[in-house]
Amino acid sequence: MSDYIIEMKNITKRFPGIVANDDVSIRIKKGEIFALLGENGAGKSTLMSILGGMYEPDEGEVYIRGEKVQISSPTHAAKLNIGMVHQHFKLVSDYTITENIILGVEPIKKFAGLFPYVDIRNANRKIEELSKNFGLEVDPTKKISDLTVSMQQRVEILKVLYREAEILIFDEPTAVLTPQETDFLLGIIDGLRNGGKTIILITHKLDEIKKIADRCAVLNKGKLVEVLDVKETSTKKMAQLMVGREVNLESDKAPAVFKEEVLKVEHLTVKNEDGFEVVKDVSFTIKSGEIFAIAGVADNGQVEIADAIAGLTKVSGGRIFLNGMDITNESIRKRTEYGISYIPEDRQSFGLVLDFDISTNLALKQYYREPFARKGILNKEEFEQVGTKLIDKYDIRSGQGIKTQVRSMSGGNQQKTIIAREIELQSPLMIFVQPTRGVDIGAIENIHKMMIQERDQGKAILLVSLELEEIMNVADTIGVIYNGQLQKIASSESLTTNEVGEYMMGAKHEQR
Amino acid sequence: MDTVIIDGLSFALPLFIIAIGGIYSEKSGITNLALEGFQGFGAFIGALSAVLIANVSGTEIQNLFYVALLFSMLGGMVFSIIHAVLSIKFKADQVISGVVINILALALTTFLTAQINAFVFGTASDKFQLGVSDRFTIEGLANIPVIGAVFTNVYPFEVIIIVIAFFAWYLLYKTKFGMRLRASGENPHSVDAAGVNVSKIRFSAVLISGLLAGLGGMCFAYSISANFSSNIYMGYGFLAIAALIFGNWRILPTLAACLLFGFAKSGGAFIAQSMALPSSFTDLFMILPYVLTLLLLIFFSKSNRAPRALGEIYDKGKR
Amino acid sequence: MSKDNRKHNLRKNFIRPISNEKWQPITIPLVSIFISFIAAAIVILIIGKNPFQAFYNLLQGAGIMPKPSYAGYKGMLTDFLSLLNAMTPLVFASLAVAVALKAGLFNIGVSGQMLVSGFLATIIVGYSGLDAIIAKPLVLVIGIAAGGLMGGLVGWLKYKFNINEVVSTIMLNYIAQYVISFFIQMYYIDPISRQSKYIEEAARLTLVNVEIANLKMDIPLGFILAIFTAIFLKFVMDKTVVGFEIKAVGKNRNAAKYAGIHVGRNTVLAMMISGGLAGLAGVTYYLGYFSSIQPKVLSSIGFDSIAVSLLGNSHPIGVIFSSFLVSIIDQGSTYMSSQAGIRQEISSVIIGLILLFSACGEYLKQKVSRLKEKDLDQKKGES
Repeated sequence: MSDYIIEMKNITKRFPGIVANDDVSIRIKKGEIFALLGENGAGKSTLMSILGGMYEPDEGEVYIRGEKVQISSPTHAAKLNIGMVHQHFKLVSDYTITENIILGVEPIKKFAGLFPYVDIRNANRKIEELSKNFGLEVDPTKKISDLTVSMQQRVEILKVLYREAEILIFDEPTAVLTPQETDFLLGIIDGLRNGGKTIILITHKLDEIKKIADRCAVLNKGKLVEVLDVKETSTKKMAQLMVGREVNLESDKAPAVFKEEVLKVEHLTVKNEDGFEVVKDVSFTIKSGEIFAIAGVADNGQVEIADAIAGLTKVSGGRIFLNGMDITNESIRKRTEYGISYIPEDRQSFGLVLDFDISTNLALKQYYREPFARKGILNKEEFEQVGTKLIDKYDIRSGQGIKTQVRSMSGGNQQKTIIAREIELQSPLMIFVQPTRGVDIGAIENIHKMMIQERDQGKAILLVSLELEEIMNVADTIGVIYNGQLQKIASSESLTTNEVGEYMMGAKHEQR
Repeated sequence: MDTVIIDGLSFALPLFIIAIGGIYSEKSGITNLALEGFQGFGAFIGALSAVLIANVSGTEIQNLFYVALLFSMLGGMVFSIIHAVLSIKFKADQVISGVVINILALALTTFLTAQINAFVFGTASDKFQLGVSDRFTIEGLANIPVIGAVFTNVYPFEVIIIVIAFFAWYLLYKTKFGMRLRASGENPHSVDAAGVNVSKIRFSAVLISGLLAGLGGMCFAYSISANFSSNIYMGYGFLAIAALIFGNWRILPTLAACLLFGFAKSGGAFIAQSMALPSSFTDLFMILPYVLTLLLLIFFSKSNRAPRALGEIYDKGKR
Repeated sequence: MSKDNRKHNLRKNFIRPISNEKWQPITIPLVSIFISFIAAAIVILIIGKNPFQAFYNLLQGAGIMPKPSYAGYKGMLTDFLSLLNAMTPLVFASLAVAVALKAGLFNIGVSGQMLVSGFLATIIVGYSGLDAIIAKPLVLVIGIAAGGLMGGLVGWLKYKFNINEVVSTIMLNYIAQYVISFFIQMYYIDPISRQSKYIEEAARLTLVNVEIANLKMDIPLGFILAIFTAIFLKFVMDKTVVGFEIKAVGKNRNAAKYAGIHVGRNTVLAMMISGGLAGLAGVTYYLGYFSSIQPKVLSSIGFDSIAVSLLGNSHPIGVIFSSFLVSIIDQGSTYMSSQAGIRQEISSVIIGLILLFSACGEYLKQKVSRLKEKDLDQKKGES
């Protein structure tokens, strides 16, 4: 038997139009924390999906504990004691923690020796024990819908532990956590390793790797660049290897010049469909030339604030002023006309009509007025001319020019389409919600650059992001939200990442 | 007054079992507007087998009641395969698929009934005559005032339906199949990640809905209509859908909704009769359950929550 | 060549005719129709008849092919005009379904909307003694208004209370059917025909028994209106702000809302247009094709129109062609039944099958594009 619990030899995996993994070989020792480092689209997730049984490689071999295997399904992977903690949680929000964990491997008892039923009570006990053993601290009878994001992640970890996984794959586990939660998680991961588990950590965050990983494989454009011993390598070297060139994620920006006030939000309160207050008494202002960022853990009300300003959600209390004008009860259309651009979080279900072509999507907010339409009749030529111009200006790439259906375009180009349309509105206020989610690192740089450019031209910008790094880099002013309330508003220079993290968890509270 | 309860129950319970079929399908994430077609086609197969067997063996058709029930379940289930294949395998729009199936069921059963009558029995009829199934009365209990009516003139199918409904509840809420089924309608990705085949679960859910709807249709054919003809397509399937929406996709509240419809219908007929109005007026009272449905929908549609993944086409690759 | 490869090639040849995306809106319905007729032919074979003769009889009955003999004052042209007469309400009804579909709504209440507008036009104009020049336009106006209001109600229920339009339209269908039956039986019944009393000729939208060249023909005035309406709708959908908004709402409600389009208003508007068209179908049916109303019966046109609309890709011009086809099946079936001895009901089975296979169209489309991708990959792999 070899020293390695996992060996992947010469793995190649192709998808239509791209080679996701190109002749990649890695070996992982039992009981180590092995990190996979690379940009979005470097092939990390594909490689691990092969290990998790989601894909089969086109070429190459996989050995687990020295035996050659073909992992055909996630169930098969589980049988080999491989478990994956997904980045996007796969939980049933109406079910309890226990019900979620046992789904698929339900313990069965028989009533009157005849009718089988799922033995929830026993499962509850077992999970409580498991959770104690690894310091996860969860109450198995709680419903998922009542849990925080980091608690939900612990449920995902318990899922694989319940299935007796020995090899745990974590896919970008800290992307949505606060710094403090991240530390807690890294502690758990370390504890798992000490308990004899083998850990694979997919990430693009260098400091995490430095903190807990033993070895690290760097991937770039589907190819394995190098396998490094983490202790002996500097973070800078790792970054260079990852990107293949020197990058500067800290955007260079001129100092902000604030001018007149553009947006003023006063005591804003928003209720969700169930009548529950998700935004509570929030007040802030944004000036021309200012990037105001709302930091917070997912689902703490930040998206609802953006929606309320843009008019997509009803306001149940408070006022919103744009350039001194009360727009609290205006329609979405009116607000757009008065000067709000909005890049929504979910670009496919909100930002675009996927079955329309690019030129139509580019005109989605102005189709009804001159020059796109006159007296209710559309001017198709104008659609085409404007479309052609913007595709060129914003470098939107597509198969068939302006006639391309947006559905068939890549995520990055879809995002460019939205940003182009919203910038062209020339609105004094621009709202960006998670603008860099799921786009690759080059595009991220570009989007940040555009945001700063707009700021320098005197726009007021509201940025909502879950990526603390992004906020620290781009924002002039930071508002931290927790549980629907703004905990702190301060200039970005006056706050450290850790402080923001504490406010994000409601640990620190400041009455204003 | 007793007739209101007796007729109300015999209408509400078949409706209830069709609605449970709908709950199964929709809880698994498949919108089911095809219940109307399922119950009609199930009743057709049930009636056809009863008529055929009666003809061959010379048995009295009333006595073939249980045989008919069995075949109706089978028929409904077989027909529901179309909905399952279209909406799960072919990823067609589930609403369109449901509507298509309803139209197809009506066309097919009308044609086949006439064709078979002409070919096999040499008659030019567009219905299969079934008669009304026997009823029974539980002597002791029937004498209790008011409630006694529940135990008077009971159709055997009412008992069968209650037993099956109880089993359906157990299957949906206590077994691992039920747990997976409900999870498929809330978040199919979680089911898939747990190594369970979502399509298979949904497929079986749709088949169960066909089976139960078929049974319900047959009960209608053996009671209020006393035959099988295209008149079976009276919108029972849609009433059942309305009932399960008020019932918030849960079995017991759905029963309450069905009872309400049942009593509205029998009560309306009772009033028309007792006021000795001309027969045209019964038409006016016939609209009671439908008006009630609309009114209740107005009150309940917004507050009730459908399964989260209802009607969404499940694509493994999509996150 | 391996067996697998051959199978693949076979499949490739089969899909070639429908692989061009540009032509798919036409080729895929054609394939659906083709498969449906094969299925129908098999059914006809099973009951021991000749499918080719049956299909030929269909065409003869519809006035597309000449019959061997005609009764006095009858000819192929008479039959053809009857076809158009029957087709007129179907075109309107299918346009009604198509407009709703564009907005992402399923109007299966067309029959009910037809009945209400037909009934109202009948009792307001049908027995009024008004001159034709006033009566006929008035019938149209009442049809549009009544249907539009009923459709609008459905849209409003959907927007205001989130009531699934399929359920609400079905409920309204039953309510309309019973309430109108009550009124007909109480006040307007013709004791001999057991239907509502016949309307006056002046109010009727089809000119009956017009004698031209020794033939007595029914001339459906509504047909011309139907064609113009289809063309006008195409213009509205493609070229106007209203059409743009309805389509955006239908394709993606969230994005439409985000773009500042009033989703509720457009839902109601689309259902009103749809209902108005259904109203036109109602008046051309009950006050054109027929001249009275049979109580407690909903016209099957409401359901056929769903098939027609899906088959025509809910495209206004496509709908004209598909209603032509479905009308042939419907109209020809009586003659087929008498000539070939096949039950008339088979016509609705054929329509049902067409509907079934049209519903598979999306799957076929996906399958084709996946096969094409695979092909491309193979070529890449080889090179």
